[in-house]
Amino acid sequence: MAEIFIDNQRFEFTGTVKVLQFILDKGLDLPHFCYHPALSIPANCRQCYVEAGMPVFNKETNAYDLDENGQRVIRWFPKLMTACNTDASDGMVVKTHVTSELVRRGQKDVLEFILINHPLDCPICDQAGECPLQIQTYKYGPEGSRFEHKKVHKPKRIQLGPRVVLDAERCINCTRCVRFTDEISKSHQLTIISRGDKNYPAVAPGREFDDAYSLNTVDICPVGALTSADFRFKARVWDMVSTPSIDITNGKGCSVDIWTRDNLVLRITPRENKNVNDVWMPDAGRTAYTIYNENRVNKPQLMLDGAQVPTSWTNAVLTVHEKIAETPSDQILVIASAFSSLEDNFALSSFFSKLGKGSVGFTPHIVPGFGDGFLITDDQAPNTSGVRMLDVAEHSASSLSDAAKNAKLVIILNDDLVGRGVLTAADLKGAFVVALSSNLTATTAAADLVVPITTAAEHVGTYVNVDGRAQRTRAAKETAHRGRNVNMDMSKGRLDHFGTHFDNWVSDKNRIDCVPVWEFLTNVATEAGIGFSYSESGDVLRDMTATLPTLSELTYERMDAENGISLITESNHA
Amino acid sequence: MSFDWKSYQPVLIPNIPDYHKLSVYEKNGGYEQFKKVLAKQDEFTPEGVATIVKNSGLRGRGGAGFNTGLKWSFMPKPDGGPRYIAANGDESEPGTFKDRVIFEYNPHSFIEGALIAAYAMRITAVYVYIRGEYRSWIRMMEAAIADAYKAGHIGENIHGSGFTTHMYVHSGAGAYICGEESSLMESLEGKRGYPRVKPPFPAQKGLWGRPTTINNIETLANVPYILKIGAEAYAAIGAKNHPGPLLYGISGHVNKPGVYEFPSGMSIETLIYDVCGGMRNGKKLKALIPGGSSTPPLTADMIVGTTMDSDSLRTAGSMLGTAGMVVMDEDTDMVDMLTRISHFYHHESCGQCTPCRDGTGWLEKTLKKINRGDGEMRDLDLLLDICTQMEGRTICALADAAAWPVRFTITRFKEDFEARCKQTVYATA
Repeated sequence: MAEIFIDNQRFEFTGTVKVLQFILDKGLDLPHFCYHPALSIPANCRQCYVEAGMPVFNKETNAYDLDENGQRVIRWFPKLMTACNTDASDGMVVKTHVTSELVRRGQKDVLEFILINHPLDCPICDQAGECPLQIQTYKYGPEGSRFEHKKVHKPKRIQLGPRVVLDAERCINCTRCVRFTDEISKSHQLTIISRGDKNYPAVAPGREFDDAYSLNTVDICPVGALTSADFRFKARVWDMVSTPSIDITNGKGCSVDIWTRDNLVLRITPRENKNVNDVWMPDAGRTAYTIYNENRVNKPQLMLDGAQVPTSWTNAVLTVHEKIAETPSDQILVIASAFSSLEDNFALSSFFSKLGKGSVGFTPHIVPGFGDGFLITDDQAPNTSGVRMLDVAEHSASSLSDAAKNAKLVIILNDDLVGRGVLTAADLKGAFVVALSSNLTATTAAADLVVPITTAAEHVGTYVNVDGRAQRTRAAKETAHRGRNVNMDMSKGRLDHFGTHFDNWVSDKNRIDCVPVWEFLTNVATEAGIGFSYSESGDVLRDMTATLPTLSELTYERMDAENGISLITESNHA
Repeated sequence: MSFDWKSYQPVLIPNIPDYHKLSVYEKNGGYEQFKKVLAKQDEFTPEGVATIVKNSGLRGRGGAGFNTGLKWSFMPKPDGGPRYIAANGDESEPGTFKDRVIFEYNPHSFIEGALIAAYAMRITAVYVYIRGEYRSWIRMMEAAIADAYKAGHIGENIHGSGFTTHMYVHSGAGAYICGEESSLMESLEGKRGYPRVKPPFPAQKGLWGRPTTINNIETLANVPYILKIGAEAYAAIGAKNHPGPLLYGISGHVNKPGVYEFPSGMSIETLIYDVCGGMRNGKKLKALIPGGSSTPPLTADMIVGTTMDSDSLRTAGSMLGTAGMVVMDEDTDMVDMLTRISHFYHHESCGQCTPCRDGTGWLEKTLKKINRGDGEMRDLDLLLDICTQMEGRTICALADAAAWPVRFTITRFKEDFEARCKQTVYATA
């Protein structure tokens, strides 16, 4: 096997691999800015300098030449090499900043150059705290700067597109954003304009950067030059808590991190998952923070004399129980949802099957031609494949509408059927409508009782994406009933670990008074006197995997360890 | 060197009226070398032509001075796909203006040379990249190529030989960096002129990913003459390791500046004091930039006995470059001169690599400070430091081209710089 020596340590490798990627794969450090594993290699930042050399192979003796100490004679490349575009080859010797003074000097020199025209406005920069330039300057940079002139001034606050704002002065011209639009999103909307130290990225005159993936450039920007219009100046990175989760705005289910502070979701960023989204996500998934924060159903709402008024949980539970009890089975329509997790849907269907009343069905929301073959899918819901795996009838929109007209009690799980045009408010006129919903929608407006339920950011739930991959969410937000000190699964941030109680406040107004579906149904079941009781999502999952053989492999631990589990196998592939 | 320069008969810019016209060029033996090659393809195989050029010792006139025939031999075997020559007429370096006279006075010699090169490398298209500021000269080249097409020298099945190639003029848009061969290709492809990372080299992956050779205009204009007189006779012209006729573009404080053609290896003193009629107003020589602004300047002492060829100039401490000589007399303000050169490189850095993007600006700002009298002695050390931080640390050679004049002007004309700086003393612990 081919061998390579990095800082006097021997490694083996196969195939073609670039030295920088190899060093990073081994968990070693080498500063870099322009290199990104998913993009082409321009070698323009010149930060990943190493010394490299090859041993001298003697064809006559068929062995490497040795010096007087028995060490291989190394022929060093005359200049510092950029590791990002240097191919590792057999016998290569590499010296990084760990062992080479020349490399340390070279890296320091480049950082000095980068910083002479960088505004150094870290105290007000969104990127501070997660900024490669800041981090690498502290690790490898010079102590100060010898630059005593006026910095180059460039435009600030350029609205490149609806979602991305550029501060050209902070830009270090790594061209990652330009390469992203050329190579990944293929919109070719960005280019570098001007020349020399006046360079900065821009769109063509009269155009805007409205790429459906534009916010990924904000993630890969190694400085704070590209910022998200929504998140700009909202929060410091170190004040937020990040929770691994998934995107629930379309059928792909991109892996994401949900960033919260004061119990509000402030931003959503992609999380690396080679099996789903690599390191990217569509912009639409990032605006899901509004779903979690705004327009929420807070406390149960009961329709009284044509207006919805808040009511108590006890009243909500009793109302649902009484309505189910008094309505004949064939007049109860229960509508499950592709927008809800497996746990929610399973709890709903198993509640009614244990009760022996009602029929559970759902309708998918697929818009043919909406997808782009990359990360945006035709499927508008995150869990269509998952609901299909449950014992739930699939209705077309028209048959669901007919069923609703004939029903006396309609229970709708988290699906804006009216807003999506599947049902009309008139279809629901004749029935008592219970909407289990996280957000206020046209459907909740038409409902007689609205039961607030948790969103994907407030509960643990499993979703199966269009490719049959089961992934789960975690609670990132506290509810009025479950805080951090109750729910020990919630992610902890810097302030949880190091702050006082006063640092880590959560405003009461940001805690939504809502419960998971299984919790509400457990309360109804207690009234109904049936054997249905769950105290956490894991109970539902265990029950579900025991009941349904196709899902038997699902556990939260495996989904965490493997970044989701593919449920499409030879046996169940339709 | 006791060379009788007065009796030298120029071949690249011969003294024949209307030589730029196809009829005049043909009357004086034009396109005969190309026709000879096409007619006797058994004798002049493509590889054979490349070998002749290689043996002639012709070295690239664009500055790097690489053996032209050897460069041609790097082209891979034809695979049926397109192959290109990019002829580099972007000459934008301060002090360099030699290709312009070829466009103006002898375009067909270049076209014929390019066609022979195309034959030798089995090229399907030649792109002539001319800097955008040369508007008139672009039109001249376009007219000359149109004439050559009309006469059947370019196009399909040229003169019934079965050899097909095409030639197009492409105008630059005013960027010095596009004279660097890989950014020239980017520019030809319609992209931003950013130099490419090598490898892959242009012979493997050039224009549109196809094998490409980049040659200077003057280099290709030499080719017909090589085939006319033979490799050995050509190799005997001028300096041993850098043979052939050379266009000397002489500017600055001489009485008769201009482009002169002489064999390579001319004595610098002969060129200044005899050919150009001596220093203007009888002043003393102070400094000489031998080959375009990026080559290290020489002091008056250093040019004594030095000749214009790569070996002699390397010994003297500079480079031949493009043989664009800038002569400066004793009144020249070296600080001002260097500030102006640094301004050029700051303005022209493409901004791709960090050291060049930010280093060129820093050099200029520091030099401006010194030039206006605000500099301190330590700024000179800083300038040399910045040079060290730039040299050899970038994708292309622009950082070197920007750093060398600074390094060598400061070290060779130290007194001028020190006299301009404040004599600040910093207490050290």
